[in-house]
Amino acid sequence: MRHLWREIKFLLGQRASVWTIALLTCLAALSVGLGLQEVARQKAAISEVIALQKTDTAAIKTFATDAGDAAYYRFHPTWDPPSTLAFAALGQRDIAPSILRIRALALEGQIHENEAHNPELALPGRFDFAFVLIYLAPLVLIVLFYDLWSGEREAGRLASLQALPKARMRVWLPRIAVRFGLVSAVLVFVFWGGALISGAGLSETIAFTSLILTLVGFWTLIATLIAKGTGSSPTNAAVQATIWFVITLIGPAGSNLVINATTPIPDGAAIMRENREAVHDAWDVDRDATLQRFYKLYPEYATSPPMQRPFEWKWYYAFQHLGDQHVEPLSRAYRAGITERDARAGLVALALPPIAIQRGLHRIARTDMAAQSSYQDRIRAYHTRLRTYYYPYLFKAKPFTPADFDAAPAFEHPSGENVH
Amino acid sequence: MRRVCLIAWAELALMVRSRVALIGVIALLLLSTIAAATSYAHMAQERLGRIANQTETDALFEAQPARHPHRMVHYGSYVYRPIGTLAGFDPGIDPFSGTTLYLEGHRQNSATISAVRENSSLMRFGQLTPAFVLQTLAPLLLIFLGFSMITRERTRGSLRLLLSSGVTARDIILGKTLALGSVGLVAIAPAWLTLVLMAIVMPSEAGAAAMVGLGYGLYMLIWVVGIIATSALARSGQAALLVLIGIWCFIAVVAPRGAAELANRLEPLESRAATDLTIQAELRQLGDSHNPDDPFFAAFKARTLAHYGVTKVEDLPFNFRGAVSAEGEALTSRLFAMHFAELATTQRAQSNIVANLSIFSPALAVRRVSMAGAGTDLETHLRFLQQSEAHRFAMVQYLNGLHRNRLSLADDAARSKDPQAEKRTRIGATNWAKVPDFVFKPTSAADRLSAAITPILILALWLGATVILAGWSGRVLAGRAL
Amino acid sequence: MGGEGLSLSELVVERGGRSVLDGLTLSVPAGHIYALLGGNGAGKSTALFATLGLLPVVSGQVLVDGKDPASQPDAARASVAYLPETVALYEHLTARENVDYFLSLAGQSCTKAQIEEAFAQVRLDPAAQDQRLGAFSKGMRQKTAIALALLRRTPVLLLDEPTTGLDPQATQDFHALLLDLKASDVAILMVTHDLLGAVAVADTIGLIIDGKLASEWQAQGANRRFDLQALYGAFTHARVGHAAA
Repeated sequence: MRHLWREIKFLLGQRASVWTIALLTCLAALSVGLGLQEVARQKAAISEVIALQKTDTAAIKTFATDAGDAAYYRFHPTWDPPSTLAFAALGQRDIAPSILRIRALALEGQIHENEAHNPELALPGRFDFAFVLIYLAPLVLIVLFYDLWSGEREAGRLASLQALPKARMRVWLPRIAVRFGLVSAVLVFVFWGGALISGAGLSETIAFTSLILTLVGFWTLIATLIAKGTGSSPTNAAVQATIWFVITLIGPAGSNLVINATTPIPDGAAIMRENREAVHDAWDVDRDATLQRFYKLYPEYATSPPMQRPFEWKWYYAFQHLGDQHVEPLSRAYRAGITERDARAGLVALALPPIAIQRGLHRIARTDMAAQSSYQDRIRAYHTRLRTYYYPYLFKAKPFTPADFDAAPAFEHPSGENVH
Repeated sequence: MRRVCLIAWAELALMVRSRVALIGVIALLLLSTIAAATSYAHMAQERLGRIANQTETDALFEAQPARHPHRMVHYGSYVYRPIGTLAGFDPGIDPFSGTTLYLEGHRQNSATISAVRENSSLMRFGQLTPAFVLQTLAPLLLIFLGFSMITRERTRGSLRLLLSSGVTARDIILGKTLALGSVGLVAIAPAWLTLVLMAIVMPSEAGAAAMVGLGYGLYMLIWVVGIIATSALARSGQAALLVLIGIWCFIAVVAPRGAAELANRLEPLESRAATDLTIQAELRQLGDSHNPDDPFFAAFKARTLAHYGVTKVEDLPFNFRGAVSAEGEALTSRLFAMHFAELATTQRAQSNIVANLSIFSPALAVRRVSMAGAGTDLETHLRFLQQSEAHRFAMVQYLNGLHRNRLSLADDAARSKDPQAEKRTRIGATNWAKVPDFVFKPTSAADRLSAAITPILILALWLGATVILAGWSGRVLAGRAL
Repeated sequence: MGGEGLSLSELVVERGGRSVLDGLTLSVPAGHIYALLGGNGAGKSTALFATLGLLPVVSGQVLVDGKDPASQPDAARASVAYLPETVALYEHLTARENVDYFLSLAGQSCTKAQIEEAFAQVRLDPAAQDQRLGAFSKGMRQKTAIALALLRRTPVLLLDEPTTGLDPQATQDFHALLLDLKASDVAILMVTHDLLGAVAVADTIGLIIDGKLASEWQAQGANRRFDLQALYGAFTHARVGHAAA
């Protein structure tokens, strides 16, 4: 302990180290502040839309008095609120919508809808805590470590230090521990500050913290191994920076190329178009045949009387659903392809620990690809509840009252963050 | 000059002998070749895919059977953002923005299907493109090869020897700049070659290619001169290296993200859902087509009846329902245009903030030149959205015109109940082919050039500043050597 | 302080596959100053590094105050203080902070009074004690390092070319200090080029050639005199011979 305190004092006695650690503290605090603000903005945007939607729905209620009109005109909001740790790892939340309004029509034409973001701002990525941790913390460690041995050797002190009794326990281990400890402490405390403000749960905070420590530990290990070598200080710095560059920039970019080349996915644009074809073709084919195909899926409505007029809502909603059914295999393959790409990225991460940690952070913060697809799955499930809610009114001529309009199922978020 | 060349020559000979330097340069060349080849192949494939999609979509539209024109309004069409020849060099925003837009009546959809949502999260770490190699990787290699070029002479004492034998500090700075500049030239050569090839394939893009080449040339030169100046000013090799890695990290890694974050804060965008709902609310204020007593549509009816001197819509020489559809579409489209203008203004303001911040990072400036030149900047995307909306409106109004002029009001009104009337409201498929195809007019070469002038000037400013720094460092060097 | 002093017996050390020490034997009893002379590359510094346990020993044995650095490096190192050729301490710390820091690294601690006493003993200007080392002359740095060695109270002291670069006054001060240390029973081994310096303080002078002790002279008589002529002859001969080889 005495040796640790001495080395802390010693490290903080050097202006360069103090500046480096102060810079890391500022950047980490800034990233957490920006992250909290961004999360607040996303939450506000969700509440705003839900409020606006209420007005819209009230207006629709005045004229949409039958089930067909109500299902056609009424949009229902779905939302994916940021988790309590999203502030630290914003992940894919900037490019995927966190609110999607859907209606009981064919879903494939609705679910790919994008947010109106500025792509030029999405291009470089977010300035979040995960960025500071994955990109900047290793560089700080490099600055603190690169001349740990070579600096002493070049100043002529190495032999004097090595000649001291228990040099490993009293000199080198404390020096490594202090660097690891200070960088970890800065990152962990700043993160805890954010987690406290955001009200994050204990277990997820601990999991996140352990990833922070693992990352700092990984780079401490790499930096120590390089620093212990016989290279000069500049060589060590250059070698460490190169390793950092290869692991955090070249590795992922190269792997992404390989993954995309080896994991083709169906053309998303073609799925949307195919869905439209299936939906609109219904206007020109035998209506009864369409209904019979629908009744195979929903036999409980097979007793519905045949169509009397060229246009009936039940037929309309039947072919909307059949349109979705038509592209179901393609759509499934599309989603499976994206999941597969992500799974392969997970394999790449096994070889590149910082990437694995980044993925872990996004997983815990629920801002990763899996979180996106689970939101889409919730939308799909909700869409099913929504359209099947209207079916009895359409196929069984169940009277549709204003109370039934209000009783349409509302989207529920599993975290319980429901805004009513 | 002879002395300058001798110094440069000696430095280059040292680099060739040192295996590390040689490996570094070869690795960079290898990476830029891979980046150029894969990026070009990928974007070419993507370009062909979109052209194929557009052809298929247009063919499907024309092949639709006889229908009620309003059905075609709902059937709609898709447009796919085309890709310019230079996009292979710098895909820019292309993977981060929707590429497919569904055009239909009454609604303005968002551009969907973007690579970033189809890729694993690895993509957010950066993409291996020629632009990435030049903006991010090449400067780091120049730093590693150049940081000690002058500090080494000083710590070994050879600087005094040089200065005492009549070589000036200026000669040394120039010589080392020349040596590192040659490495920079090697680093940028594959990119320049690619640009020349692209210009040959597509001569109309030659101007843009030249501009992109100039931008990267300036950017490389900024680094070369800046690195040499830092090496001359630093007290030791490691100090030079640390300072340079710090500067690199700020310019190439921190600044782009920081600038984007700042732009997001200063010019927040409304969510798409909120905009849609706002438009709906405004629409209800202006005119509610579902309300038979709506003042807007009542006024339209009165106006139309008066114009034709009749008292009932049935007496009008055309189908009033079609006219109402056209009027309604014009109304919603005005709102769409207004809100799109707001969105575009905000997004342009965001990008301008980033552009202004390139005063602090030449990487931001060169990225702007690169994306503007390659036609993969925000402007291209906004143009695509705007032209698509114009196309959507023209298409829908053409169909509404058919609805108004070719259908009888009585049939139109009865079509949901009367199968015979429904049949009569279907018009021939030959009409669909008359809808004009979507032809994207990309930013003109002149516009792209003018968009690149400011960032090029900023790069020139940076170069000027580093040259001044290098000049000053020469004087400092001469003073310190004694 | 007393103790068993330092002894090297039949020491063989290889560096890069070449025997640098090839059976070196010498012994420095407590309260004795041994000057080891030799040309460049004769193995002087290697002998010191082997004594500190920083280089593996192929055969033979080192005993530092009775402890073998090969088998008990920490115990041996605790008994020895080492002054490298260029005294390199931390430039951004003051003399006092340096002493404090290194003592703590060695697992020792001293009171303020003890440190001041040590500084007084090495005659370091009191005003300099709280100045950063960056501004120190070589003599002042050396005084700081010796103060540190004094405070460590080790029975053995190793010196690598201690007087290179010192002005005559500083050299004289340094020699006086060595004699003080000797008086407190420290065994001192110094390797040096400086024949005259060695003659001034040493009790024994050894000449090392090609990793072996070529000859050894003891100070004679009450005035501790060496046969200068013989020494000078042997020393130049060794250098010429080495250069010729």
